[in-house]
Amino acid sequence: MRKLLAATLGVLSAVGGFVDIGDLVAASQAGARFGMGHAWVLLLGVVGICAYADMAGRIAAVSGRAVFDLVRERLGARVALLNLVASYLVTVLTLAAELGGVALALRLAAGLPYLVWVPVAGLAVWLVLWRMRFQLMERVFGLAGLALVVFAVALWWLPTDWAALGRGMLHPGEAGHGWGAYWFVAVALFASTVSPYEVFFFSSGGVEERWSAEDLADARSSVLIGFPVGGLLALSLIATATVVFHPGTSVTTLDQVARPVLLAFGAVGLAVVSLGFFAVTFGAALETGLSAAYAAAQYFGWQWGKRVSPREAARFHAVLLVSVLLGVLVLLTTVDPVTLTEYMLIVSAVALPLTYLPILVVANDRTYLGDRVNGRLLNLLGAVFLLVILAASVAAVPLAITTRMGQ
Amino acid sequence: MARQLLDRQLVDVTGRLVGKVDDVEFALDDDGVPYVRTLLSGPGALGARVGGRLGRMLVLAAERFVSDPPLTPMRIPFRLVERVDSAVWLRVPAEELPASPVEEWLRRHLIGRIPGAGRASG
Repeated sequence: MRKLLAATLGVLSAVGGFVDIGDLVAASQAGARFGMGHAWVLLLGVVGICAYADMAGRIAAVSGRAVFDLVRERLGARVALLNLVASYLVTVLTLAAELGGVALALRLAAGLPYLVWVPVAGLAVWLVLWRMRFQLMERVFGLAGLALVVFAVALWWLPTDWAALGRGMLHPGEAGHGWGAYWFVAVALFASTVSPYEVFFFSSGGVEERWSAEDLADARSSVLIGFPVGGLLALSLIATATVVFHPGTSVTTLDQVARPVLLAFGAVGLAVVSLGFFAVTFGAALETGLSAAYAAAQYFGWQWGKRVSPREAARFHAVLLVSVLLGVLVLLTTVDPVTLTEYMLIVSAVALPLTYLPILVVANDRTYLGDRVNGRLLNLLGAVFLLVILAASVAAVPLAITTRMGQ
Repeated sequence: MARQLLDRQLVDVTGRLVGKVDDVEFALDDDGVPYVRTLLSGPGALGARVGGRLGRMLVLAAERFVSDPPLTPMRIPFRLVERVDSAVWLRVPAEELPASPVEEWLRRHLIGRIPGAGRASG
């Protein structure tokens, strides 16, 4: 019974943990402008991240080493250092966007100007990282993030034309915005679904919680069930935005992302949505902050993690602190958090291969995994997905320039 | 042999992470056969191996934390190595090895001063 409860909790927190500021922005924008035409992107992303999370988890459980720890041995000190610098910058940029999301959610719930909330959000995130237990942290924010189910419920309250939604999924179109804009949004949505920090976090968390082959089965099932269900949450974001905004209005603020629920349930709906936004962005801020520090510590071989006291992992905690500060500073330049999220997604798309290629390489290395290396089917899936990632990475910047960020 | 050691995680006898094998030093035995004498760890050794502007920047950044540059890497005699698998396991606790100056500095001046630094949050 206890075990079942723990497993359920694990699945549910994976569901909540899947969605972050990138999904909120990209999914709503996709729905508002192109209807259901991007549903296939979510499906592709979820299949890919499940395959790679499986590899990263297996590497962590069998070799006892996290992904970035092994990247340096495979790529060499110099290339891995360049990879570290790029991954770190992308992760801190993501952290900044998530902190902006936390501040926006607080403003949505409690009023007061957004910029007042930015330092509060930064301090709160750092305090939780400093003191809260790893698993508790994962559970609390993952479960509270499930409040976003309210988007799926709202679909039944709104005058939804289900047949039209279904047709839209099967017949994607450029809806008068041009195919350039369509593919730009597709790349952004794809990057939000397969955010690299999720894999870093998953594999480092596995090492931190000292997974063995037995725990691996649990962890894997929570991700393999949790991420697809999380994908359904993102799909319901697209669907409600389609029903309420498409065609016509475009979504440029987080208030607009919340509007479908406000229309369906009024003030109560707004309260639930604010909680959901707060939980998913706060949870993702924790994960991105940790991922940035994990990557640095694992490259240099420093002591890392929450199992030892901060005094014993001073360099790890210093990077953590500096990363949160950098995130706050980025936001204090008064950059609009939604615009920041759009740029963050494009930069992440470019950097995607830096994370996913090494995982595929290590997952085939017998010196670490013995006979637990990838099977043929998983390798095929991994390779096909890697090609998609490469295409998205190459196309991201040209699309951003030619469409002027998707206009 | 060196390829198997380079860039691998160094772990002490209690499971604590002490650094990476940033470089290795060879010596010749009586018959003139080379063997690994010392493992080097620390930004000084890493910077030299990475090379170029990136390597120099790494060393300069680390040198800000020591009172008397140049930076000397931690030297671990190879006889202290217990076994090598996905990590390099040492037979001594971290206390018996020279501490990292950067870690020491950050502990003393930044992290150690924040309340609660002595307790693990788990």
